[in-house]
Amino acid sequence: MLGCIFQYFYTSFLRFWLKWLLRQLTGKCELQRICAGYKAAAGRTARAEYSLESSKSKLLRASVTAEEDAVEDYVEKIIKEKNVKEQKDPTFKKNLSICLLQITGYKNLYQCVEELRKEVFDCEKEEHENMLLKLWDLLMPSTKLESRVTKQWGDIGFQGDDPKTDFRGMGMLGLTNLVFFSENYTEASRQVLSHANHPKLGYSYAIVGINLTEMAYSLLKSGALKPHFYNCVEGRPQMKHFHQLYCYLAYEFNKFWIQEEPESIMEFNLYREKFHEKVKRLLLDPDVTLILKVDSTN
Amino acid sequence: MGLLTILKKMKHKEREMRLLMLGLDNAGKTTILKKFNGEDVSTISPTLGFNIKTLEHRGFKLNIWDVGGQKSLRSYWRNYFESTDGLVWVVDSADRLRLEDCKQELSALLLEERLAGATLLVFANKQDLPGALSKEAIQEALALDDIKTHHWCIIGCSAVTGENLLTGVDWLLDDIAARIFTIE
Repeated sequence: MLGCIFQYFYTSFLRFWLKWLLRQLTGKCELQRICAGYKAAAGRTARAEYSLESSKSKLLRASVTAEEDAVEDYVEKIIKEKNVKEQKDPTFKKNLSICLLQITGYKNLYQCVEELRKEVFDCEKEEHENMLLKLWDLLMPSTKLESRVTKQWGDIGFQGDDPKTDFRGMGMLGLTNLVFFSENYTEASRQVLSHANHPKLGYSYAIVGINLTEMAYSLLKSGALKPHFYNCVEGRPQMKHFHQLYCYLAYEFNKFWIQEEPESIMEFNLYREKFHEKVKRLLLDPDVTLILKVDSTN
Repeated sequence: MGLLTILKKMKHKEREMRLLMLGLDNAGKTTILKKFNGEDVSTISPTLGFNIKTLEHRGFKLNIWDVGGQKSLRSYWRNYFESTDGLVWVVDSADRLRLEDCKQELSALLLEERLAGATLLVFANKQDLPGALSKEAIQEALALDDIKTHHWCIIGCSAVTGENLLTGVDWLLDDIAARIFTIE
C-alpha cells in the first residue's frame, strides 16, 4: 500500500522534479544521462525505453513506435526538442539511434512473427509442402519418406499420418522454427531427435517443438524477451534472431527433460511450466543472453 | 449401499463434478475447454499429456480433464477414468477418413468398467467448417443408437465460435445432477 502511494507520488511529481534538478546540476537531459551512464545493452535500452514512453512530450512518446526509416528523423527531432549540444556529447546521437532501433525493432519483430503465425499451413501451397519435406530430409537423411501421408511422420514426432493438422495456432511459425533448427544446427537437432525417440524418456519431437514455438511466441508478446534481444542484437532484431531463440529453447528443453527424468509424456505440461519458469527467471537478469551453445561432450 | 449414500451426500455438499474429455487428436478438446473458460483459442498447440481446469458453472464446481488424443497417448487414457461423472467425447465432424477409428475408440471406452456410471456427451465439433458432417450423420457413423449402457446425447457445436458449447455442458450437468445429487 505504502509502496503504491510512493509509486504514484514518484511517477506523477517526484520524477519530474528530480529530472529537472539533475538536468540543472549536470546540464544533461535524462536520455543523455542514460546513454552516457550505461553500456550499450539492455540496461541502457530498457531505461531509454521507459524514459521515452513516460515522457510528457508527444514526440518522444511517438518515437518508440517509429518505422525503421523514420528513426534517424526522430533522433534529430529529439536532439532539437531536448536542446542537446552535439559538440558537447558527440556519442549521444549514435547511442540514441541504436536504442531506438532496438526498441522499435522489437515491436516490429513481434508483428512479423505474428504474421507468420497466422499463416496457416496449406497443402495446396508448394512452398509449404516443400518445407515440410525438407524438414524430413534434414532430420532423417538416411530414410526416404514413403509417401506424403504416412505413419513415418510419427518418427519425427508428429501426431498422425499427416502433419498438416499439428501446426494449429502456431501456423507456419511452428514449421519455420523446426526447419531453421535442423538447417542451422543440423547435428544438434538430430541429437535432440534421438533423445526424443528414447523408449523411456522420449517425447514427440515435432509436437514439443510446436509447443516451444508457442512458448517463444508468448515470451516475445509479453515483452519478456526484450533484455535478451537488446543484449544480443545491436540494432533491429530480425526473424532469424527469433528462430535462434527457438533453437535455444528446443536444445535446452531437451537437456532439462532428460535431467528431470519425468515419469512419462503425460507429465509434459508440468515440466513445460517448470522450464518456462526457469527461462523467465533467466530473463530477469539484465545481462541475459539466451544463446544456444552446443555441448561437445554428448 | 450405506457407504454409497454417505459418499453421495458428501459429494452433494461440494456439488463437485469430474468431467473427462477425450477424442482423437485434432478433434478440438483443448479449444472447447479454453473457449468454455473464456480464454483465447487462437494460439493453441497440440496437447501433450493433459490439461486440467477447475471452473464454476451454475453453482457446480467442474473439474474438467482434457487428455491428449494422439495414438501414443491413448493407452494413458485409463489413468484418468476413476470417479468420472461425465465423459465428453469430441469428434472432428469434418474428418471423414477417421470416423471409423473414432467409432472404435469410443466403443472401447464404453466397455470400461470404471466409466460404467458416467453420462456421455458427444460433441460433433467443427460445425463451422464447410465440409462438416451433420450431427445426425455423426450419430449414425458412431452407431450411438446402439448404446444402451450409458445416458447419452449428441450436440453439434463449434469450439471456435462457441456455438452450442453451453447447451451441451448444461445437458450433461442436468443428467449427472439428476443421477448423483439427491434432492433434499
